Amino acid sequence: MKPWKMFFTIIILTALLLSSAAFSKGYVGIFIFSLIINGTMAVSYDIPGRSLGLISLGHAVFFGLGAYCFGIAISKGLSFFPALILSVILSFVGALMVTLLLAGLKHGYYSLATLGILIIFQRFFETLESITGGSAGLYIPETISKLHCNLLAAFLLLATAACHVLFSRSRWGLYSKETEASEEAAETIGIPTQTVKILCLMTAAIPACMAGVLHLARTSYVSPVSGFSLTLSITALLASRVVPVSGILGPLLGVLFITAAEEVIWTKFEGFNHAWFGLILLGAALYQGMDFRRKKELSSLRSQLE
Amino acid sequence: MIQVFISGLFLGGVYALLAVGLSLAFGIMGVLNLAHGSMAVLAAILYKKTLVLYPFSPWTFCVLATPIFLGFGFLLHLIIVAPFRQLSLSAGVVASLIASLGVALILEDLFVWWQGWEPISTYITFPTFNLVGLKIPGLRAILLGMAAVTIGLSTLFLKKTDPGRSMRALAQDKEAASLYGINPGFTSMGALGLATILAGVAGIFYSSLYPLGPREGLDLTLKALFIVVAGGMGNLRGPAVAGLVLGFIESFAGFLFTYTSTDTVVYSLLVVYLVLKRGGRRQ
Repeated sequence: MKPWKMFFTIIILTALLLSSAAFSKGYVGIFIFSLIINGTMAVSYDIPGRSLGLISLGHAVFFGLGAYCFGIAISKGLSFFPALILSVILSFVGALMVTLLLAGLKHGYYSLATLGILIIFQRFFETLESITGGSAGLYIPETISKLHCNLLAAFLLLATAACHVLFSRSRWGLYSKETEASEEAAETIGIPTQTVKILCLMTAAIPACMAGVLHLARTSYVSPVSGFSLTLSITALLASRVVPVSGILGPLLGVLFITAAEEVIWTKFEGFNHAWFGLILLGAALYQGMDFRRKKELSSLRSQLE
Repeated sequence: MIQVFISGLFLGGVYALLAVGLSLAFGIMGVLNLAHGSMAVLAAILYKKTLVLYPFSPWTFCVLATPIFLGFGFLLHLIIVAPFRQLSLSAGVVASLIASLGVALILEDLFVWWQGWEPISTYITFPTFNLVGLKIPGLRAILLGMAAVTIGLSTLFLKKTDPGRSMRALAQDKEAASLYGINPGFTSMGALGLATILAGVAGIFYSSLYPLGPREGLDLTLKALFIVVAGGMGNLRGPAVAGLVLGFIESFAGFLFTYTSTDTVVYSLLVVYLVLKRGGRRQ
């Protein structure tokens, strides 16, 4: 990582950690918490997104799984920490099943299947009315203070960032880059591509599950639509893509931009929030196309000069 | 049970129509157009608004609105295909996927703003007739026939006309097609235009049979995408058959379980199919 990138990454993470401790209540507290949760989702999304080049439209499946496992455990009478441990174990099993199911798919098919899985979970949790509260959602009592919740979320973001860095620098990170470039070639040189994919996807799934747990602990409410939310998945996708900077700085800057934009959209443009989201998506995609064309023109100019 | 089968046949016909357009777009341009279902909803809204002015039958409106949908297809091409033509295949697919998702989300809000949350229903009364003791709704039978005719005409267009042959050549080998003087930009624009016309016809037929929510575009696209993956990309016969199968599954799931569980059953089966086939027939 270049020094300036490391500097800005540390600045952003420290600022989020300190502000999560300083502002735990009121509007600012909620905003900081949203930033941290969106940050965790985006950084975790970025692990398979960058290294395997997979576009998931259903990253929120893991978020919803974590939230519901925790919510059901609390509603059965467990206290915070036992419920947290149980929900981590249960959501780990759930995430592993989903990951095993999807690991064999490539590019567009993977995106499609993740979107399908998201809808399946949404509908399935709607039908399990006696356990999940159906489409009305699940309410739980406050189990820990808002300050503790903010701090735990900030530490989760730090841990996710550390996972991102460690994974990309480990041999598994290199393997996943090879797998992205050509799965067949990677298999030929002895890389266990399936194991690489599963490990990479699980590294992304666990923080998302934990984010779901902490989100429910703080807001006390989850519904199939808000837990297994397409908007949340798109936010993670956008945040990871919108700033063309590699490493964890890209998703972190993306989250600052997207969460702020989201806040303005939800408060100022009621009824048009999907449209604004769509505009940002469209802008990000068009920018990608223009950026490619600009780089191509620059390289052809350079070769002409040489 | 036979009545459920017939109902599945009608629903499958509309799905087939929707999926055939999507398959055409993917086969020729490699674009997973997530705004395809939104085009169907747009057609349904336009038809509903036109019905207030003049009571056109669904099939008359389909013919009259063809140039409008061709125009929408061209416009969509300028937004979700043309800017990413120079990108590599996988980067291009991802960029157009994101762009088309953006377009679908924008359209969803615009539809709600334009026509409200109320589901779009353009049902017109039509006599029911008896066939060997079975009650066959006349409108559904006609629309099923129209869907079959539309798919047949599209197949003829692709096989027997010069623009159609150009589209097929482009789907097989872009570079070789360019060497033979086929303009990839113009041809892919025509393909997306045709795909949008098919989406429009599907939307009009769907709203004539079932109420269609203004935010159901993405849902329709997803079903169509799964049909295309199951039936094979770039050909018309496979998605048409897979669409009929999906119609049957949905109909029987609704009959055997509750109405709300149909989506869970359908999507579960489709994801399992996707996974078993490891990414469809053509990766």
